[in-house]
Amino acid sequence: MTEIKKKGLSRRSVLKGAAASVGAAIGSGAITGFPTYWAQASKDITITHVGSIYTTNPTVSEQANKDLGFTVQMQTLDNTTQINRMLTQPETIDVADFGNTNMGYFKNRGILMPIPVSEYRYWDKTVPLFTQGTYADGNPYSMQGYAPIKSQFWADQSAQEYSLTPTDWLVGIPIMYNADTLGVRPDLVPHKVESWGDLFNSEFAGKVALQDGVNVGVPDAAVALEAAGLMTYVDKGNMTREEIDKTIDLLIELKRAGHFRSFWTNFDQSVQLMASGEVVLQSMFAPAVTEVRTRGIECQYLPLKEGSRGWYIFQSAMAHLDGGDKLRRDCVMEYMNWCNSGFNGVYFSRQGFYSSVPDLMKEQLSENDYGYWYEGKAATADIIDPFGKVMEKAGAVRDGGSLWDRMGNVGIWNTLMDEDRYLVRRWQDFMAA
Amino acid sequence: MTTYVSPRAASWLQAAPFALIMTCLVLIPLGIIVVVSFMDFGFAEIIPEFYLGNWQDVLRSSLTIDTYVTVFRQLAYVWTITLVLGFTISYYLIFHIRSNIWRAIFLAACAIPFWTSGPIRMISWVPLLGREGLVNQALMGAGLIDQPISWLLYSEFSVIVVYVNMLTMAMAGPIANSMAKISPSVIQAAWDQGATEWQTIVEVIIPLIKPGFVVGTIFIITAVMGDGFLVRAMSGNQVNTPAVAIMNEINAFQFPPAAAKSVVLLVVVLTMVGLLLRFVDIRKELAR
Amino acid sequence: MGTRRTTSFYVLSFIFAAFLLFLYGPMFCVYLLSFQGPDGGMSFPMRGFSTVWFETLFTAGGRGVGDIHNSFIRSLRLGAIVALLTMLIGVAVGMSFRRRYPGGNFVFYSAIISMIVPGIFVGFGISLTLNMLGMRPQWWYSGIGAQLTWSLPFAMLIMFIILGRMDKAFEEAATDLGATSFQRFQYVILPLILPGVVGMFMAGFTSSYEEAARAGLNIGTGNTMPMELTGLLGAATTPVMFAVGTLTTLFMFTLVIATLLFSTTLTKRRQLRLSSQHA
Repeated sequence: MTEIKKKGLSRRSVLKGAAASVGAAIGSGAITGFPTYWAQASKDITITHVGSIYTTNPTVSEQANKDLGFTVQMQTLDNTTQINRMLTQPETIDVADFGNTNMGYFKNRGILMPIPVSEYRYWDKTVPLFTQGTYADGNPYSMQGYAPIKSQFWADQSAQEYSLTPTDWLVGIPIMYNADTLGVRPDLVPHKVESWGDLFNSEFAGKVALQDGVNVGVPDAAVALEAAGLMTYVDKGNMTREEIDKTIDLLIELKRAGHFRSFWTNFDQSVQLMASGEVVLQSMFAPAVTEVRTRGIECQYLPLKEGSRGWYIFQSAMAHLDGGDKLRRDCVMEYMNWCNSGFNGVYFSRQGFYSSVPDLMKEQLSENDYGYWYEGKAATADIIDPFGKVMEKAGAVRDGGSLWDRMGNVGIWNTLMDEDRYLVRRWQDFMAA
Repeated sequence: MTTYVSPRAASWLQAAPFALIMTCLVLIPLGIIVVVSFMDFGFAEIIPEFYLGNWQDVLRSSLTIDTYVTVFRQLAYVWTITLVLGFTISYYLIFHIRSNIWRAIFLAACAIPFWTSGPIRMISWVPLLGREGLVNQALMGAGLIDQPISWLLYSEFSVIVVYVNMLTMAMAGPIANSMAKISPSVIQAAWDQGATEWQTIVEVIIPLIKPGFVVGTIFIITAVMGDGFLVRAMSGNQVNTPAVAIMNEINAFQFPPAAAKSVVLLVVVLTMVGLLLRFVDIRKELAR
Repeated sequence: MGTRRTTSFYVLSFIFAAFLLFLYGPMFCVYLLSFQGPDGGMSFPMRGFSTVWFETLFTAGGRGVGDIHNSFIRSLRLGAIVALLTMLIGVAVGMSFRRRYPGGNFVFYSAIISMIVPGIFVGFGISLTLNMLGMRPQWWYSGIGAQLTWSLPFAMLIMFIILGRMDKAFEEAATDLGATSFQRFQYVILPLILPGVVGMFMAGFTSSYEEAARAGLNIGTGNTMPMELTGLLGAATTPVMFAVGTLTTLFMFTLVIATLLFSTTLTKRRQLRLSSQHA
């Protein structure tokens, strides 16, 4: 009982600190929650967190260090370097966040620490996408691709097999997720885009782009090919060799006809392609669309008939923490709890990502921000990003509407196919064509 | 205080730190690469079982041929252009610029752009070559074209342009160095005998700059054959070369096939460099 | 050539100017766009003219800035050490090739191999080896070592050119005067090759400053500049990137000019001393 009370206390104070610094003006909050012995013992501990720029940046680390009393050292890495680091030097990392598709690489490697549900405070507040494998209304979602529930629970503490039904052991703590569709330059397309099939419409020849790679680009292409009536799949998220062959052959044909403008590797390239007018229609990440619009360029992100491509980034702790220094492990758990408690979630929510604990966000975001980002309401005042820049004027409504309007129709998830080896090989042929 | 060291031992001592670093940090990892190329693989996992599939694929598939055809074509363009351009620039700086200070300033001016970080330099080509970029706007403004040219960017053209931009100085540097070595009296003698500028270049200068030419060519070959980042960025991931293919597989954490491709690439480039050194042994020039 | 300004001079001047324009084309975009107005993007047109992106760079938690400041300092520190080691080891290996010796081929071709093997493999191989030895990568040994595999081959080739240019007559004269090999190096060879050696230092610095593929896995927990920039590209970037480009170029420019001036005075002073000793 005392344990819970202590944690409750510390959480509230953490939230208070976070909220105050975000400017929500909840009140002046000195951090008083941590028992003195904890603060004393943990102050020399430094934990290392690697991940993407959205969760590992000086703004977040400064706040974490202020709130927590121990040091969080952050390192922003590109995906390849990060995965290699996790695989070859797991002991140099304490916490990492990464797309759940990477679990294809981590399974049975013993590098991740199973996280006891009991040690994560917000599980009961987490959206059912992750806790139950359903949408908010209880309906199941598409299982094509790496649906979150496929690698959310370890079957037991040995962390070997996944369980599709809830257990006491989490693979990772949900951080952010979203639903991607096609980004469109409405000023440059002749008609309204309503289907993924338009990606391969000859009207847009030379002006479309896809993400470069087999985890996002190929499922997007597959959805578009199916929508255009050129292909049918049993499971677009996990194709057979025959399906891969046919898909690549069709893509090669399109490439030879000059259909693609480019294939983007990172977020920034997708923004540049769209903002510079190189491309009028392409698969994009949600904040990339927001980014284009921030520059005063019209860009739409409309719900399409075939649904969206969902993705999910979670955070996990490394296995060496279990059996290592107990205090260090406690600090890591405290930090992971902190990550969803407020400041961090608020920070990325205001850039267009969804938090796994929207109720907590509701407490801490301003009504206008929450209304705009999560509820699909028209902004009552200008929407300002975490850096003070105006993203949308008052009256604007988020493309695709509320959290569940957007997230509630996922056709496919980011993926790592069983035939990855064959797919990568054929993708090489496509690139060489 | 002078202790006698035999010349051979002196050379060994001088080369030891270099050899040690190369052995421990390049050759041993390379050994691992060779071993790995004969292994099977799973998801981000090297399976330590003898497996020939990677080599069968490299040696038999059309992908290998396609990628090498592409990269040799790029190399031919880049080498020719950088050679002509690099030679011209070196010739100008060494034989036409008389003031040492101006020569130093010009050389520094050529080097400054390379002190901007690579990722930033790559991004900066979009506002230059893109559909709405400066070049297209200038061409349209001049009335030369009605529609923006799209092949300026994300094409093999842009790959070659950026290579030339980055590598011309790598060719010009060694050539300029070799040219500076030519004694002015040699040139003067040629002039005195009534040789034209062109004859002097062809008959006096070109034969004397072989070492610079070889070093420059080695720089170009290794840069073009070994680079994947530039090709990927500038072609919009639409051109595949052996180095890009290796990068793709590494990004998918498929190390054994990437290892096999790396070994092939290594053999190809070493052969090219070996042939070049047969033509001009730069070390012999040193020991002369 | 002679004293005449020939037509070829003007033709060549034109070609050189055109080349500089081509060389600076993208840089021109970087410098110009770094002064983009507050509402402007990373491509043309310019929406106003401001220094807002330079201000952003120095504001705490600036947008798209990440941990650039610390990364820059790390890169400078790493670059300086790598450059120094490159210079020392490079000069040594270059000197070794002034005579034929058994193993020379091995040394030479190991350098060529190092230039060709994909950097990421060298990096991966080193990290795998460290892993097997149970060692934890740190910037000050594995980071530096990984980058040396990249900078040293270039240093070796540069030394070839420098030494190849050197007139052996001076050296022979020194030997005839009874100079020991160390004296010969100190008083004859070093002054002659010094400008080139400074060039090697700069080449070592530049290659370290740009390098990420080899160091990436071996640098430990602090990002270098290219790693941080690549990480930043995972999110939307702003003209602040170009501001970084402008400022770092300016910084390096100052550094290079200072080095050049320093090396020129050094050479002059050495030459003076040498001539006074001979006198």
